[in-house]
Amino acid sequence: MRRTDHHRTSPRALALAAGLVTQLAAAGAYAAPPAAEALVNTKCAACHTAKGDGKWDRISDSRRTPEGWDMTVARMGFAHGVKLSHEERSAIVKYLSDAYGLSPDETVAHRYIIERQPSVVEHHDNKVIGDTCARCHSYARVAVQRRTEDDWRKLAHFHVGQFPTVEIQAGGRDRNWFELATGDAAVALGKVYGYDSASWAKWKAQKPVDMSGTWRLVGHKPGTGAYEGSATIQRTGDDRYSVAMELRYENGATESATGSSIVYTGHEWRATVQQGGRNVHQVFSLQPGGAVLTGRWFEEDNDAVGGDLKAVRAGSAATVLSVQPAMLRSGSRASVTINGTGLDGDVDLGPGVKVRRVVARSADRVTLEVDVAAGAAIGARTVSVGKAQGADALKVFKRIDYVKITPDHPMARVGGAGGSTPKVPAQLEAIAYSAGADGKTGTADDLRLGVVDASWSLANLNKAAEEMRDVEYAGRIEKNGLFVTNDAGPNPDRKYGANNVGELRVTATVKDGGRTVKATAPLIVTVQRWNDPPIR
Amino acid sequence: MNRLKPLNRKAHQIDAAPTEDDVEKVVAMSAAVAGCATTFDPGWELDPFLGVAGLCQPMEADLYGCSDPCWWPAQVPDTLHNYQDWSTGNDDAARDWKALQSVFPK
Repeated sequence: MRRTDHHRTSPRALALAAGLVTQLAAAGAYAAPPAAEALVNTKCAACHTAKGDGKWDRISDSRRTPEGWDMTVARMGFAHGVKLSHEERSAIVKYLSDAYGLSPDETVAHRYIIERQPSVVEHHDNKVIGDTCARCHSYARVAVQRRTEDDWRKLAHFHVGQFPTVEIQAGGRDRNWFELATGDAAVALGKVYGYDSASWAKWKAQKPVDMSGTWRLVGHKPGTGAYEGSATIQRTGDDRYSVAMELRYENGATESATGSSIVYTGHEWRATVQQGGRNVHQVFSLQPGGAVLTGRWFEEDNDAVGGDLKAVRAGSAATVLSVQPAMLRSGSRASVTINGTGLDGDVDLGPGVKVRRVVARSADRVTLEVDVAAGAAIGARTVSVGKAQGADALKVFKRIDYVKITPDHPMARVGGAGGSTPKVPAQLEAIAYSAGADGKTGTADDLRLGVVDASWSLANLNKAAEEMRDVEYAGRIEKNGLFVTNDAGPNPDRKYGANNVGELRVTATVKDGGRTVKATAPLIVTVQRWNDPPIR
Repeated sequence: MNRLKPLNRKAHQIDAAPTEDDVEKVVAMSAAVAGCATTFDPGWELDPFLGVAGLCQPMEADLYGCSDPCWWPAQVPDTLHNYQDWSTGNDDAARDWKALQSVFPK
C-alpha cells in the first residue's frame, strides 16, 4: 500500500487541487423554479425527507459552489444508484446552487480551487480543520462549503462509513481521528464555515443582475502573455447567455471565443467556449454591483493551461485596466498601450514618464510613444486618462535585480500513452523584480516588474535524481516555459521499471542588457490521479 | 534504528531524514501545494521529503494496494464502496493500467 510508514515524520497538512468544470449545463432561474424543486422531491426525497418550504433532510443543511453540488449529486448516482439524465442532474445542480449557494464574499479567498489554479501553495486558515481535512483533501475543498455544525459532524461519520481506512491512514492514525473529527473539528467547522452568514443572507435577498451587454476585458495567459479584448454577452434564457469574445495578445496573436454560459447563485459564471480550436471552460464570478467579472479560463482536459481575466461592463465607471508593456526602463523610449473603458481626457503616466506622441486613441485603448527620463524614480505609477485610473498599472525600473519562477512549487504529472488521463504540464514563468530605491533585495520596497522572456533549462534536483537520471526521463521544457512530461506507465528502460517521474531543477536565464540574471525552482514530476473531480 | 541498515531506496530516504527536531522545523515550514499539484505529505504524489524518490515505483506495482483497501480515496478510486468494478478484468496494473479509467462521472 502506498502509505508511508514513517514514524519520525508527523503527518501534516498539505493537499489540494482544483475543480473540473463538468459541463454544468442546466435550466432554471436564480429564484429556483418549481420544476426543479419538484425534481428534487422526485429524485432526492425518497431518502432525504422533505420538510417543506424547499427544505430536505441533510440537503438544506449545507451550502456549496455549483461544482460542490455537482459532485454531491454525481455521488448520489455512482454510490447510491440514483438515476438522473444529464438534464435532470444539471437542473438539480442549478436549483441547489441557487437555493443553497455561496455569496461572492464567501468564495473569494478560495476561488483557486474551483478555478483550477495550478500548483497553488495553501495556507490553512484554521489548524484543527487543516489537520483533520487537509491531509487528504485540499483545504479549499472544505472552505468552499458551509454547513451547520451538526452537518459537519455527519460528514465525519460519512467518512468513517465510506472510507473506513480514514482512521488508520498515515494522515489519521497519529491521533484519535474519530474523536477529533466529530468533536473539535466539527465545532471549528461549524464556527468558521457555518451555515448561517450575514453575507449569504444579504446576497440571497438581492435581485439577480442581467449580464447582457458589451464588456471590455484584459487578462494574462502564462506562456503567451497579456491580452486585451471585448466580449458580447446576450441573454438566451433564465440565467443563460451566449458569449462571443475577442482576445488580442501582446505578441500579436488573436483568438475568438464563442459559446454559452449559465450563471449560478447570481454570480457564478460557468461557460464553455470554443477558443483557438479548443474547448475552454470559464469559471468567473460577477462581483457585487454587477459591473465586474473576474476569474480564470482553462482548456478542457488540460486545466494547467489557461489564463486569468477581468472584464468590466461597457458604460460602467471609467477605469484603466492594464498597460502594455507594464514595465518601462528609465532612460528609454517605448511604445505603450493603455487598456480600459471611458479613456477620455488627459493622459498621465506619473513622474518621469512623458508622453511624446499619441499614436492612436479610443475610449477603450490609447496607444502612445513615451520617454522615460534617465533619472526617473524606480517604482509603481498610477496611470490615468481623464477620470479613468489604474493604480500601480505601470512600473519604472532601472535594471532587473532578480528573477523568480512561478509557480513557486510547480508540479507536473505523467499521462497519455493510451491511458485515460492526459499529461498534466506545468506552465512556468519568469517574473522580474527590481530591488527598489534602496538597492537591497528582499526589502519592502522591492518591486515586482512583470513577466519577462527567459531561456529555460532542466537538471537533476539532487543526488537521488542523479542516480535515477530523472532529467533524461521526466520530460522537456519548451521555449515559452511549458514543461511537458513524458508518457505514463512503467518504463522498462528505467531502474525498477519506474514511471517517468522525477525531481528536477528548472533554471530560467534572463538577459537584462549585457547582464544575465538567473532563477531556479524545484520541479516535481509525479504520477497521475485516478479520481479527478471538479474540486480536488 | 541504529542497528538497522537500509537496503532499498525508500529506506535510505528515511535514514537520511533529518533529526526529530529538524522534522518539526520542516513541518512548520511546509505548506500545501494545490491545483494540478495535489499533494499531501506523506501522500499519493509526494513523499515525506516533498519529492518522488520515496514513492513506490513504478506506481502501478502498488496501485491496487491503494484502491482495494480504499487507501487514497481522494486520488484513487476505492473499490471497497464507490467504484467496486474499477479494476475488474485488469488484474495486473503494471500490464493493464491503460484500461483503467479516471472515475469522476462528467
